[in-house]
Amino acid sequence: MMDSYFDILSALILLSSFLLMSHKRIKSYIKTFRIQSSLIALTAGIMGMDSLIREGSFDILIVCVIIVLLKVIYIPRLLHRTYGTVEYKVEKDFYLNIPLLILICCGLVVFAYFSVSNIGSLDGAHLNLQVVNSLSVILIGFFFMISRKKAIGQMIGFLVIENGIFVTAFFSTHGMPFVVDIGIFIDMITAILIMGVMVTRINEKFESINLDKLKNLKG
Amino acid sequence: MGLFLWLTPLLAALLSIIIKKTKLLHAVSILSATTLLFLAGYATVAVTANGTLQYPWFWNLFYIDALSVILLDIVAVISLFVSVHAVGYLNGELRQGTLRESKIRLFYLLMHTFLFTMVLALTVNNLGILWIAIEGTTLASTFLVGFHNDKHTLEAAWKYVIICSVGIAVALVGIIFLHLSSVDLIDPNRALQWTVLYQNAEHLNSPVLRLSFLFILIGFGTKAGLAPMHTWLPDAHSQAPSPISALLSGVLLNSALYSVIRVLSIVNKNLGDSHFTGRIMIGFGVLSIAVAALFILTQRDYKRLLAYSSIEHMGVITLAMGIFTPISIFAGLYHMINHSLTKSMLFLASGNILQKYGTRNITGVRGLAKVLPVSGTAFFLGLFAISGAPPFSIFASEISVFLSAFAEGRPLLGAVVILLLAAVFAGIAAALFRIFFGEAPDSCKPGETNLPGAIVLILMLILISVSGLYLPAPVKELLTSAQEIIAWNGTI
Repeated sequence: MMDSYFDILSALILLSSFLLMSHKRIKSYIKTFRIQSSLIALTAGIMGMDSLIREGSFDILIVCVIIVLLKVIYIPRLLHRTYGTVEYKVEKDFYLNIPLLILICCGLVVFAYFSVSNIGSLDGAHLNLQVVNSLSVILIGFFFMISRKKAIGQMIGFLVIENGIFVTAFFSTHGMPFVVDIGIFIDMITAILIMGVMVTRINEKFESINLDKLKNLKG
Repeated sequence: MGLFLWLTPLLAALLSIIIKKTKLLHAVSILSATTLLFLAGYATVAVTANGTLQYPWFWNLFYIDALSVILLDIVAVISLFVSVHAVGYLNGELRQGTLRESKIRLFYLLMHTFLFTMVLALTVNNLGILWIAIEGTTLASTFLVGFHNDKHTLEAAWKYVIICSVGIAVALVGIIFLHLSSVDLIDPNRALQWTVLYQNAEHLNSPVLRLSFLFILIGFGTKAGLAPMHTWLPDAHSQAPSPISALLSGVLLNSALYSVIRVLSIVNKNLGDSHFTGRIMIGFGVLSIAVAALFILTQRDYKRLLAYSSIEHMGVITLAMGIFTPISIFAGLYHMINHSLTKSMLFLASGNILQKYGTRNITGVRGLAKVLPVSGTAFFLGLFAISGAPPFSIFASEISVFLSAFAEGRPLLGAVVILLLAAVFAGIAAALFRIFFGEAPDSCKPGETNLPGAIVLILMLILISVSGLYLPAPVKELLTSAQEIIAWNGTI
């Protein structure tokens, strides 16, 4: 019963990263990221209730609350603010066209499927499906980063990778130990804050956040 | 006592926020580094006597053994040298007007946070916390790399934070798989503890563990600057202020490799041999040496040249760990010590040169021997040392790595690596030995400007020369016990 919920959720999270790939504007990236994070928070909520009933432990529920506060509310706001301060001309943000990008993403899912199914000892078909979906989210996150030119696009790609890692940990091992989870959150929020400041500075110095302009250091 | 290892750099970072007087800031920094050295000495004595140093508080988080204490000592020694040198360096920047006095606080705040994250990485038992600490090193040092806040440093810092954060994210996937390989075996409260994983290594799920090793090697390998994930390294090392370059190259790269080695020992113990890990590690090692050799041969910027040389030496250490015989592991660890001391000395000297000549370009520096007698000599001899010439310590450890390759029955590997290192030597010789002679530009007045820095350089030069000829027995003992930890009881 639980597993079928998680199957659906993992598929929806994967779908949201496809959606992200298909968007053209930074505002829609942020919106999609918010949807994806909400889905992850929902997953954590269900798992947290389950572990509260079974073992009486609040750990996963606390993690769920942190996800809502951080990834659903705070980080999207921060991204909007950063986006607001950097003025930029509307220009094409990606190197390949969108249908091709989506096609490559499908290829990534197939790749993830084959890599995971080769590990015979991951038990159970359900676990496999969920891990395949969440590993695909990580791969799509990487691909998103290299397919966009703008600094904010790269930040979102990084966040999607982080989301993918988080759900992988959830589906494969029911989350990392609690201390480790908290530490990862602290690192992540610091990383995003730092990247936000860097984006503003890059915009000041280069008068654009197009990373094609960062080409001074070579050799 | 162990807790003070974490508190000292943290306290120094906090004080850097409060204190406004520059002189007091310098004093706090040096005092904190001295305390750290003293504490590391205490930890070394404790580990030599008992084998490990651990405390029951914080879920058994604190853990030091022979392997981590060696790296901890390197951190402590180099951070003391760097913080003494930084006093002269920062004052020099102030005089030249390239730095505002208010930014010194930021410098020290970030530097001590950076040191804290590195000390944390080396003193924890939990591999998850180790990951957090290594990611913390990236975050703490990003603004240090971009400290001068111009186009070039910003580009370097952006590359640094993006490539390293993403690389480290890959390592986190590896750590999740490591957790997965042990999930039904180990009590959840002790999950991800290195000691527990190591003790139960034989029972872990091998296919998952193999996958985990790949992710971890790629992830932490990015941070250690292994080719082809090295692209951030030359930019960050060359654009950062020189004391920070010394820390990045001398200490940070080691901490990243240390994380790989910790996992490597679990994986090899689980698989019973080093065939799987060996091939991959040797591959990355040789590729790093080759890429570095190529770029060194065509390099025009002396700080970038030193950075590529760091990639080369990380390659040598990875290679040694890939060969995985008792001798090669010993040599690899010894090489870590030697490389750190020599390379940070070179970066500190390069800081003095940069301040004097105002250029990173090799062709812009002439007559160094006359202009900067101490830094110039240290740079000159350091370059000989770093390219592997006797009698310096790097020669001793490098030759042991090759000999172990030949002894393992891999003559081809040994030959290729020796050839590549000959290319590196030629590259460094051709590019840099010129700069000591010739006429200095008129704008450069002879004489050292950074006196504390010059004293540090002399000390370091003595250290790397002496340790090449004579290795004290306690150090040897420590290295041997670290080697036994990696290659469980010295048997392969």
